[in-house]
Amino acid sequence: MEHEKQNILVTGGGSGIARASAKRMAQSMHVVVADRNAAGAAQTVEEIEAKGGSATAIAVDVSDPDSVQDMCRQITRDVGEIHKAFFAAGIFIRGVVGEIAEEDWDSMMAVHVRGTFLCCQAVLPAMREARRGAIVNMSSDFAVMAVPAAAAYTAAKAAIYSLTKTLALEFAPYGIRINALGPGPIDTPILKSGRTTEEWKAALQSFGENLPVGRVGKPEEVAAVLDFLLSDRSSYMTGQIIHPNGGQLMW
Amino acid sequence: METIIVTGAGSGIGFALTERLLAENFCVSAWDTKEGALQNIQNDALTFHSLDVRDYNGMVDAVADAAAGAQTIAGVATCAAIYRATPFLELTLKDWEEHFSVNLKGTLFACQAVLPRFLEQRSGSIVMFSSSIARRGALNSSAYAATKGGVLGLMRALALDHARAGIRANAISPGIADTPMPRQVMSETDLFERGEDIPLGRIGTPVDMVEAAMFLLSKDASFVTGQDIRVNGGAGLF
Repeated sequence: MEHEKQNILVTGGGSGIARASAKRMAQSMHVVVADRNAAGAAQTVEEIEAKGGSATAIAVDVSDPDSVQDMCRQITRDVGEIHKAFFAAGIFIRGVVGEIAEEDWDSMMAVHVRGTFLCCQAVLPAMREARRGAIVNMSSDFAVMAVPAAAAYTAAKAAIYSLTKTLALEFAPYGIRINALGPGPIDTPILKSGRTTEEWKAALQSFGENLPVGRVGKPEEVAAVLDFLLSDRSSYMTGQIIHPNGGQLMW
Repeated sequence: METIIVTGAGSGIGFALTERLLAENFCVSAWDTKEGALQNIQNDALTFHSLDVRDYNGMVDAVADAAAGAQTIAGVATCAAIYRATPFLELTLKDWEEHFSVNLKGTLFACQAVLPRFLEQRSGSIVMFSSSIARRGALNSSAYAATKGGVLGLMRALALDHARAGIRANAISPGIADTPMPRQVMSETDLFERGEDIPLGRIGTPVDMVEAAMFLLSKDASFVTGQDIRVNGGAGLF
């Protein structure tokens, strides 16, 4: 390998929380920034390199098994062993249950649930072989709490949390820890999606006002929790969901 | 320098947390009923107060003392607790109330003693110790379980009440750990054998809990409030 640092794979790393996380983790690791949006991934790599870090951009559609396999081959060829992973690729399609189109439901499940499943399945065999590793899957407060017009999202995020717990049990004997993040409202493109600039301004304001802490979170504040969950600081934690949510959900 | 207050600092997790905080250059206002519990630690950043968390006025004085010497009281970790295993039908009212006055009211009082200072600063991180027993129960532990459930409720209410003032409150729920407490009810061998039933293959250590507390006290947890961090090796995932 060209570098001595350990490697982390971050999916969805071309924007939002995952981009902030890629940048945070780049302080100590080489980051593989994977995203369906190749330009976004390249931009993240550029930002990491500008700060003296090292990263590799890879284009991937996590919902597509062939694409995930291609990603793995590229990683093996160009980067080497994956020591840690943050699976955060996600999309958001709003809609009340009665009006969700089947294809929208399917794409939500494909990106979030199948994507997380395929990515975990891709990296876990080598981690099991090495008898070490840590994974964090991106869930949401909405895995636990109900919210209108987001049934596909809540169901997908609940599935990711559930998958995380089962994986945690299955892989604990190999010293691999698997946890989930359940953020509340964070200032990210996914929260902004489907809203005009005006709507977004109003939404940010009302999200903030409705939170106990009075403001929405920053992607960097989620990245800081991710860092904790991937580090040895949490070496006795597995199967947990941690909520950087400004107090939106307490359970 | 920033000060952290630690209750129950004389043993177990509170002791380990005090050691870590000092190592990371915090000032520590360490409270415990056991006079001389920290006498082996020679460090100018450590101030020991011999007091009981049932003594509200004593804690107010200790906070004033800590505030006089420090720029900021950055946080408080409430580790003080008692545990006595008693079958439910043998539990006396005296036993029940003693658990509540130390574990729950003591936590409330400690927070009340320091909150005016936090409100003045418009910052402060509160870390309460609950227990996995709050959610999962344990044999002959009804009083303890009830107080630790109470801690979670108190933590959430406090988090809500003071979120806008920049004050965060969270809890840690340790699973069974290598501390004096479980040794009251089981042998050394039995304690470590419990690790075999835990997914990560071992019981917890005080350091495992200290890491979570350091995280919650730090800026890394700036958007984390009202949460219960379960440091339990994956035992009982729900």
